[in-house]
Amino acid sequence: MPRVLRTLKLLTVFAGFSLVWLCVRFPYETGHAAKKLLGLSPEVDPLTLHLKGEFVESNLGTAIDPDGSVTVRLIAQRYDFVPRCLLVPARTTVHFRITSADAVHRFSIDGTDDAVEVVPGHISELRAQFATPGEYKTPCHEFCGAGHYNMLSRIIVVRRNLFPGLKPDERTNCALP
Amino acid sequence: MPYLKLLLAIRGVRNLAALCVLGSPLAVYGIYALNTANPQPPLRIPSNVAWTDETIAEASHGNAVRGFLIADRCARCHGREGFSASAAIPNLAGLDRLAIWKQLNDFRDDKRRSKIMNVVANELETKDYADLAAYYSMLPTYPDAGDTRAFPEPPPSTQTGAGARLVAFGDGTRGIPPCQVCHGPLGHKLGAPSLVAQNSTYIQEQLEDFAKGDRSNDINMPMRSIASSLTEEERQALAAYYGSGLGNLSGSAPEASR
Repeated sequence: MPRVLRTLKLLTVFAGFSLVWLCVRFPYETGHAAKKLLGLSPEVDPLTLHLKGEFVESNLGTAIDPDGSVTVRLIAQRYDFVPRCLLVPARTTVHFRITSADAVHRFSIDGTDDAVEVVPGHISELRAQFATPGEYKTPCHEFCGAGHYNMLSRIIVVRRNLFPGLKPDERTNCALP
Repeated sequence: MPYLKLLLAIRGVRNLAALCVLGSPLAVYGIYALNTANPQPPLRIPSNVAWTDETIAEASHGNAVRGFLIADRCARCHGREGFSASAAIPNLAGLDRLAIWKQLNDFRDDKRRSKIMNVVANELETKDYADLAAYYSMLPTYPDAGDTRAFPEPPPSTQTGAGARLVAFGDGTRGIPPCQVCHGPLGHKLGAPSLVAQNSTYIQEQLEDFAKGDRSNDINMPMRSIASSLTEEERQALAAYYGSGLGNLSGSAPEASR
């Protein structure tokens, strides 16, 4: 086979793969960005968070995903973040997924630059890493109503090697007895 | 030579078979271990009620006259005018219609436990709930001064100071919001009862149950997390505050201030 033909064949294969990748990936990426920018097509129903979907009560808090990464699911509502006390490991990327049940809130972590606006109907995402174990306060940073100034929850960061040893029901949150 | 090849092939197949037999328990254990490392928590739903427009419409368009007739069977415990003679049974007079409607639904669905109310809510028809809510929510919230019926004794007012502070200001350092931003008079939240004249023993029992998780029908768990952040003394102080009727004196109840 002449060299030109072989190159052409390779190029075709490459173009085919790229096209497939674009078809799969592009609508997702653009769709996600557009939703955030325009506030269109809500991703979750703020009124039925407790009935179905990933924000049901038993699914809130810290979860270890199969690939070992850490995801935290939170609801912001007047006037607390649910659950109001979290346990996460240090020196690990923590992936927050937050939605609001009523008003616009802002989840912020004291002493860091990490903060994200939480809008009803949408899932806000935030990636944060905690360098040292300790307690971090997470106040609401967007006026949300009469109880806004008392809207404060906390994150307790434990040493990375201690975290997997905790029982599953201990590490999801530290809010309830 | 062909025979030798065949022999080798058979041995290969046999090895493969042995690997499958010996390896399968390992594979099964691997899958099991993966699943137990990331167990899916059992689904927990606090209440089947969601405050959609249809739900609110259904709950607020009750017939108060029909509710008055049905309320005949509630009168023995909750009082004909919605004031209970026992401190452990809640007053229903002036309670928000959405709050009454939601609690009846939760009693029927066993989302909130009560030996008596689970039975009563099942005996009633679902459309009775809105009628009862309409009737009780329009009753005046405070008995008038000339009323000679027996009411539960309010707790001594010496305990109410700490309660009043929590109701008015909450505790910012612990992230406890003021009670009045959801339970009135400063603010209001869908489904949250306005607490003006409520019986102290009842308030205390509910706070304890929320704190222990025995009562868990609050949507997105605000009451469970707040009650468990309070100390035992603070829960008592709040019960004393609301039981003393102080909520009425601040001009919170429209009937009392008029």
